[in-house]
Amino acid sequence: MTFSKTHFRVLCLLLILVIFILSAGVIAQDDAEVTPIIIGFTSDASGQYANSGAMDRRGMMMAIEEFNANGGVLGRTIEWVHYDTETNPATGTRVAERMINQDGVSFMIGAVSSGVANAISQVAQENGVIYFNTNSSSPTESGENCHRTKFVWDGHGANFSQATVAGAVETYGSNWLLLTNDYVWGHDTSAATRELAEASGATIIDELLVPQGTRDFSSYLLTIQQAAPDVVAAAVGGDDLRALRIQVVDQGLDTQMAWINNQQDWPDVYGVPPFGLFGTTWYYDLDLPGVEDFVARYQEMYPDTSLRVPGNVFYNGYMATHTLLTVIEEVGTTNNHAIIEALEGRTFTAEERMQHDGAWIDAENHHVQQTIYLATANAEPQDEYDIYEIVSIVSPEDAMVRQDCTLESLEDTPVYEP
Amino acid sequence: MTQILSKFRTDFIKMGLVFIFLATVPLWIGRIGLYDYIALEILIWCIYAMGYNLALGYTGLPSFGHGAFFGIGAYAMAIYQFHFGGTSLWIGLSLSILAGIVFGAVTGGLVSHRRGIYFALLTIAFGQMFWFLAIKLRDVTKGEDGLLNLERLPVDFGFFSIDISSSNSLYYFSLVIFVIVVVLLWLLIHSNFGYVIRALKQNETRAQFLGYNVRFFKLISFTLSCAISALAGGLFALAQRSAFPDVMALHWSGIIVMMVIIGGGMVSFWGPVLGVMFYFITRDIVGGITEAWLMWFGAAFMAVIVFQPEGIAGMWGNLSKRFQRVNTKTKLEEPQEAQHEPV
Amino acid sequence: MEFFLDILPHILNGLTIGLLFALIALGFTLIVGVMELINLAHGSLFALGAYLALATMSYLGASGFTSPTIFQYSAALVVAPIGVAGVGMGLELGMRRTYGKDPLYGLLFTFGAALVIEEGIRQFWGSNDLYFPTPSFISGPIILGDLFYPKYRIFASIFAIIMIILLWFFIERTKVGAIIKAGAHDSEMVRALGINLTVLRAGVFALGTALAGIAGIILGPIWGVRPHMGVDAVIPAFLIVVVGGVGSFRGSVIAGIAVGLTSGITAYFAEDWSILSIYILLAVVLIVRQRGLFGKASSLDT
Repeated sequence: MTFSKTHFRVLCLLLILVIFILSAGVIAQDDAEVTPIIIGFTSDASGQYANSGAMDRRGMMMAIEEFNANGGVLGRTIEWVHYDTETNPATGTRVAERMINQDGVSFMIGAVSSGVANAISQVAQENGVIYFNTNSSSPTESGENCHRTKFVWDGHGANFSQATVAGAVETYGSNWLLLTNDYVWGHDTSAATRELAEASGATIIDELLVPQGTRDFSSYLLTIQQAAPDVVAAAVGGDDLRALRIQVVDQGLDTQMAWINNQQDWPDVYGVPPFGLFGTTWYYDLDLPGVEDFVARYQEMYPDTSLRVPGNVFYNGYMATHTLLTVIEEVGTTNNHAIIEALEGRTFTAEERMQHDGAWIDAENHHVQQTIYLATANAEPQDEYDIYEIVSIVSPEDAMVRQDCTLESLEDTPVYEP
Repeated sequence: MTQILSKFRTDFIKMGLVFIFLATVPLWIGRIGLYDYIALEILIWCIYAMGYNLALGYTGLPSFGHGAFFGIGAYAMAIYQFHFGGTSLWIGLSLSILAGIVFGAVTGGLVSHRRGIYFALLTIAFGQMFWFLAIKLRDVTKGEDGLLNLERLPVDFGFFSIDISSSNSLYYFSLVIFVIVVVLLWLLIHSNFGYVIRALKQNETRAQFLGYNVRFFKLISFTLSCAISALAGGLFALAQRSAFPDVMALHWSGIIVMMVIIGGGMVSFWGPVLGVMFYFITRDIVGGITEAWLMWFGAAFMAVIVFQPEGIAGMWGNLSKRFQRVNTKTKLEEPQEAQHEPV
Repeated sequence: MEFFLDILPHILNGLTIGLLFALIALGFTLIVGVMELINLAHGSLFALGAYLALATMSYLGASGFTSPTIFQYSAALVVAPIGVAGVGMGLELGMRRTYGKDPLYGLLFTFGAALVIEEGIRQFWGSNDLYFPTPSFISGPIILGDLFYPKYRIFASIFAIIMIILLWFFIERTKVGAIIKAGAHDSEMVRALGINLTVLRAGVFALGTALAGIAGIILGPIWGVRPHMGVDAVIPAFLIVVVGGVGSFRGSVIAGIAVGLTSGITAYFAEDWSILSIYILLAVVLIVRQRGLFGKASSLDT
């Protein structure tokens, strides 16, 4: 019979089907004798937190390199995969699914945006995969969004408020104005600030909401000047904070009233003079053993980055990964239940942490309790990087703020042994 | 009935093949280097795209804000679970569809009397408004952080229920929905209603002079399109176990437009499906090679607009026609069709 | 009285916001009005302007902004828009095949271009938020009453006013401007009169995109420079054009100022709704006056 258009098309369809099925055999993977441990980096490479995401990853990679140089962990080399989570929670879900189901990752590490971190940790908990949230600092990470498989490595908004607020009321005055980024981190942080300030006798005269992505702060700055507070407590992050900073400093408002900025990440601050009082978990110029060597190792491994010294984001990424690999070695297995139990309540010496105090992982909410440093812009920098002046060191006990958290039980958490 | 069957024989064969093909996907998706979740995501977006194409490809309504309806459908399912503790899958999905109808009708009522560019601009404005509201109404939607920890509610028939918490089982459930939606869409397009909207896409004035209330038809078509997109959104909320505002922004609304056009939705019933697959596979495969995959996708889109606005489906159509002409023994079977040929 | 004194700075600030928006919308309006084409790549070209300006400045500064910033800034203000216009002309070249067809295709093409340019910027310059330094005589605050206000915004507003006047003068009072207007009205006639329509279109597109780039350079120091900044610009731009009326230069200037004032005054009462207020303004205007405030009938209506 004649070969018609329809026949041609049906043939094409069948051909495609056949190719798919044939390729299955070709692409099917062989299992190696000793499988590597694969760590999935879930940090952003685009969007608002791209810079911090890149630094997060560098910290993780340095830790992995150091372990691989010593033969890996449990005799297995450590590999990593990374996909851009785009500072977008839906992408975070997809990336997590892909990492677990396609790439077969053993663990997932990395976050800057709390929205993305939440999305990832949901998928992680469903599958029993341990997930380290390195740099996102919403108090709810270890509160209502806590999970048995999730561990939080950064100080959160409430920690920093706890560390700064009481002292600030005393030093600067009791008329406070809150500037709040209109999303979970901003609201939770401002709520914590409000509670602490009012407990110290301050009055919140106004709270201004800043939608994410605000570029033009002119109206806000006018309103703030008209309100004339003693202190402006800003819970604004990422690109929005950079725009705010440029505009505040340009208008000379940083000298008109006191600014409390909660936490600032090194990649966000560097390049533009910091303003106000802010917090951080680590600084490259701390006079502690091990810090100088750590900085030197960073510089050797990353000679081409524009930030020539590492900051808190890199530090958190490194610490989290380093601890994970150490614990795996100690426990002798990658069984997730065993590792979770080993991590809960684990203590660290000050020297291990390169901080002024020892730290520990809270067993009930999986949040790392650590030293909080308060800093302000350095009036007398020794070199172009020395832009922080550490004004206060707050111990983890003093900075601790507990969130209500109900972790899933270990029985409800699937066993995962990659 | 038999007349319809024989006249559209090729259509039904194609439909059947597509359904069978999709049904086999979970069996081999892992083998070709992909994973279950992406199959699920693709299928849900196919439903979304097919619904969208009712407005764009068939009625000629270039909506650049359809992401809002996809998102509204997701939020309907999420709010039902989160704020009302809902446990019925059917109610949840019905709420998604209902939300799509309501918001679609309201928006359509305000914009459907326009055409072309003005219509597109108005839909952008409405899309952005809905997106902004989704972020702003934190008490309802939890803003940027979304409604989390949703459950994939079981398919409950009263006397027995099927658990769909695994990606594969949810995929098959979504496939059933897809089949129903596709069949209904096909019937709609080949009904009188369908011919009217295709006519008014070609020339609205002429349709109007023939006595059709074009505004009414555009409104109904737009609303149905929103309802289907919202249904897809509801499924998406189940897949992700959460609802976020991101899909409602201009970026994502634009992506569905690009998908549908690249696939050939302007001239083909199956165009949207091709477009969705092309996008996701590009994203995962090219995205594994370079972070600039979106740039290449955008460039491909630009090339399609300039050189081949009929998209992939159009290219295939042209290719097979050429093949047909090479074979001189075959007489020309079908006359040239102006608009939608059954690919 | 107290209330008036309180709200006055916000009104004035709203005016500056409006002028900046009008500046952003200028290039967009020109292309829409003359070529009846919605250029969604406007935002990305806006961003490109800022990035090229930074590149120019750092090239001239060599060892990091040591030569007078005013020189670098002025040079950037001239060089960068030319670069953007070049890209714009390239776009116009690609778009020629869509001219006869449904204007939707032009819209889609520029949408794709917007994506490609933004991603290209991201690949080339990274996703960082970059800092845009400005000459010292327009940096820093000026004290108005008892409030600090940035000098740069005042400079930017004055610049916007000058650009608007210049463009109006060019369109309304010069021969080339007349040709451009004629080309919009009746392209066949213009061709019949011996004027090269292809060159005209390319020229208009170059001018429109250069204006987008200039807006990016002016706004860069205020907004910060990041790849996504284009989206922050294109949405207000097209809102302004629709509110003001497609094809009306006067309409988009007035609409720009109206949008800015709305945004600024809303900010006084409920600062987080000032963005939504723009959309509400759009909806209200379009429901009351179908073609926007001063819109004329155009082929975009079909």
